[in-house]
Amino acid sequence: MGVIMPLKQGKNPGNHFIKDDSTDIALFVRTTGEDITGWDRHRIVSALLRETLIDRDTAERISLDIEKTVKNGAIKTITGPLIREMVNSKLLELGLEDARRMHTRLGVPLYDVEQLLIQHNKENANVPHGPEATNLTLAEGIKKEYALLQVFSDDVADAHLKGDLHLHDLGFVDRPYCSGQSLEYIKKFGLNLPHALSMAKPAQHADVLLAHMVKFAAALQSHFAGAIGWDAVNLFYAPYLEDMSDRQVKQLAQMMIYEFSQQAVARGGQAIFSDINIYWEVPKHFVGVPAIGPGGEYTGKTYGDYEKQAQRFAWALFEVYREGDAAGRPFFFPKPLVHITEKLFQTEGHEEFLDLICAVAAEKGNTYFVFDRGDTAKISECCRLSFKLEQSDLDDAREPWKMRYSALQNITVNLPRIAYRAEGDDTRLFALLTEQLELTVKGHEQKRNFIQKLLDMGENGPLSMLAMKLDGQTYLRMHRVSHLVGMTGLNEMVKAHTGEELHDSDAALRFGLKVIAHMNLVCNRLSESSGLKLVLEQTPAESTAYRFAKLDLAHYPDQAKMMLQGNLDSGEVYYSNSTLYNVGAPMGPISRVEKEGLFHPLIEAGSITHIWLGEHQPDARALADFVVKTFRFTMNDQIAFSPEFTSCLACGRTSRGLAESCPYCDSSHVDGITRITGYFTKVSSWNKGKLGELKDRYRNRFNQ
Amino acid sequence: MTLFTRSDCSLCNQLKAQFDLAALHVNVEELDKGGAASLAHLAWHSLVEDARKSLPLLVLDDSSTISDFNEINAMLAARAGRVPDAMRKGSGAECATGTCSISV
Repeated sequence: MGVIMPLKQGKNPGNHFIKDDSTDIALFVRTTGEDITGWDRHRIVSALLRETLIDRDTAERISLDIEKTVKNGAIKTITGPLIREMVNSKLLELGLEDARRMHTRLGVPLYDVEQLLIQHNKENANVPHGPEATNLTLAEGIKKEYALLQVFSDDVADAHLKGDLHLHDLGFVDRPYCSGQSLEYIKKFGLNLPHALSMAKPAQHADVLLAHMVKFAAALQSHFAGAIGWDAVNLFYAPYLEDMSDRQVKQLAQMMIYEFSQQAVARGGQAIFSDINIYWEVPKHFVGVPAIGPGGEYTGKTYGDYEKQAQRFAWALFEVYREGDAAGRPFFFPKPLVHITEKLFQTEGHEEFLDLICAVAAEKGNTYFVFDRGDTAKISECCRLSFKLEQSDLDDAREPWKMRYSALQNITVNLPRIAYRAEGDDTRLFALLTEQLELTVKGHEQKRNFIQKLLDMGENGPLSMLAMKLDGQTYLRMHRVSHLVGMTGLNEMVKAHTGEELHDSDAALRFGLKVIAHMNLVCNRLSESSGLKLVLEQTPAESTAYRFAKLDLAHYPDQAKMMLQGNLDSGEVYYSNSTLYNVGAPMGPISRVEKEGLFHPLIEAGSITHIWLGEHQPDARALADFVVKTFRFTMNDQIAFSPEFTSCLACGRTSRGLAESCPYCDSSHVDGITRITGYFTKVSSWNKGKLGELKDRYRNRFNQ
Repeated sequence: MTLFTRSDCSLCNQLKAQFDLAALHVNVEELDKGGAASLAHLAWHSLVEDARKSLPLLVLDDSSTISDFNEINAMLAARAGRVPDAMRKGSGAECATGTCSISV
């Protein structure tokens, strides 16, 4: 049996950061026989002194006790983990709880490993099932445990474990949450990453720039838990396109979409969760900015001069989206986010472009419509996250490679549970909500401190890529990061507290608005006192809506049974995402967009309304009218239309709607495809909560 | 009618001094003091973004909104049955002193 040898003696016992070479821990393995040859109790003493704060005498006494037990016992195989558990048990007997905690071993039970190797982990539908994904899941499991023991304090960790809060991406605790950036960074500096085996100068050609972009995105995905967003992609490519024919531009668009969408297979782990922001017009803040072209050199023109080239690329990208992949399925990534601005409507060709992107929305569902009203400018990404550009960011726009933003962590509050605990008392409800928000800030501070420590290790630390300073600042600009405060189940909170769901009455909607207004105000106040930039975000809640529902069923069964959505018998239970209305409420699309949009100005870091289309394929012109009206007459931040498809794994063809069997070949070997929360994926990879939601979704029709 | 204001907004205070708003059946919401209820009321009328640009904002009984200071002044004067005080120059959105917008 393989046994991991005890760790090397650390040089600095007080420092939990970097003491031993972790490679040694992984490589030095020995095999034991059925005797205890090689037994050395001093290794126990060394480990206790290195890892805990107990005194040498106690450590010696424990090691002698363990030795006695081992020698007297009928244990046939001594393993490192077994000895450690025995020592931990002894520490508990002696009342040394803190020492036990410091000495604890993180790991995964044999049974769980076997399950994970065989069964698909559906926590994130964007992760396929395979050996690399299993590595990811196993590593995440250990990092989650580490995070809850070492990064977060007991009260924050307990709040997560109990389901009061959800600390997102605990398995990626050593990474920031997500990032948005500009292509200008690699256009100017080339692909010059720390510890890379080769360094590439700035790209001379569009296809090389694409190769740099995809590789940089993959490298970034290894350093961020969530989305990797790119600002104004079609505009920043434009200086490379001048000598290219339309056919070549289309080929480039095709390469970009296929390269990003096929990364899931190439990586084995999570696909690069990529977003590309697209503008038909040249955004005001880029009009006078000197353009960078081939070789990282200024072209002598400004981006305002590249409108036509940028439009050519935007058009080509959407032509490719409209065609879909080789089987006619929608591309899952990169997600195209089109900014709808006042200037768009003043730009030549906008009607045709709107028709094209709405045709893509109707046929494949890819298009996200991001509404930037007035002087608002933002970078959008993830499932609905956006970074609003402040004046300092607009100043940075003159040197766009500086424009890189990150959310460091996302923590979501379980709103229905607060209503259960408040038992109908308004004052108590808002007090409990404030209490949870204060705990959220504490969690954010702890994650920030942890990331800062890793970042401070510089080029030899684990976040060396984020610490690189090609433009004089670290790539991850800590002074600009935001900290996301999410919410799940507003609809069920309102129902539990008032007896009505958001769609039932104006009074219920007004109460929902008051809850989010309270969160907004408290976050502002806590931002001032903590110095952190805390912003509300609609939590995508792909797994959180399910997790909270399950935990509330366990801890508040009487109330939860009455409030949660889905099917109790099948276990497909969930809460409504964030501030979204009940997905099954029979509402028209206009009403849903308008009413959900009332919340959006209170949620600075991004919101979205989904319009579920089912098998219905609306007329593109009808969607275009709808998009324009949404921009003009509502406060909605972002909308997306979600059709459903059946992909036949037998004949390879794709049909509209979710069906049990293929309408072409009648095979039942099919999989569904639609939007889970903020991206398209295969229904077979969804968790039970989301499957319950899918069954409940009210599908809208648009008049032709 | 509802007049959305801040207690430290100079334009808002000018209107409060000029008119007996209660007598005109104008409900005054002070956004810096009204807490979540006032902000939710603002959101209900889809006015959060407008309030980020300027205050005061007047919501009429038919839910239409006036954001121009001079127009609000004129509307309230008409309701009070008198000639409005001297109009301010410019767009009417300038806030000489005070905080004539919200930062939520």
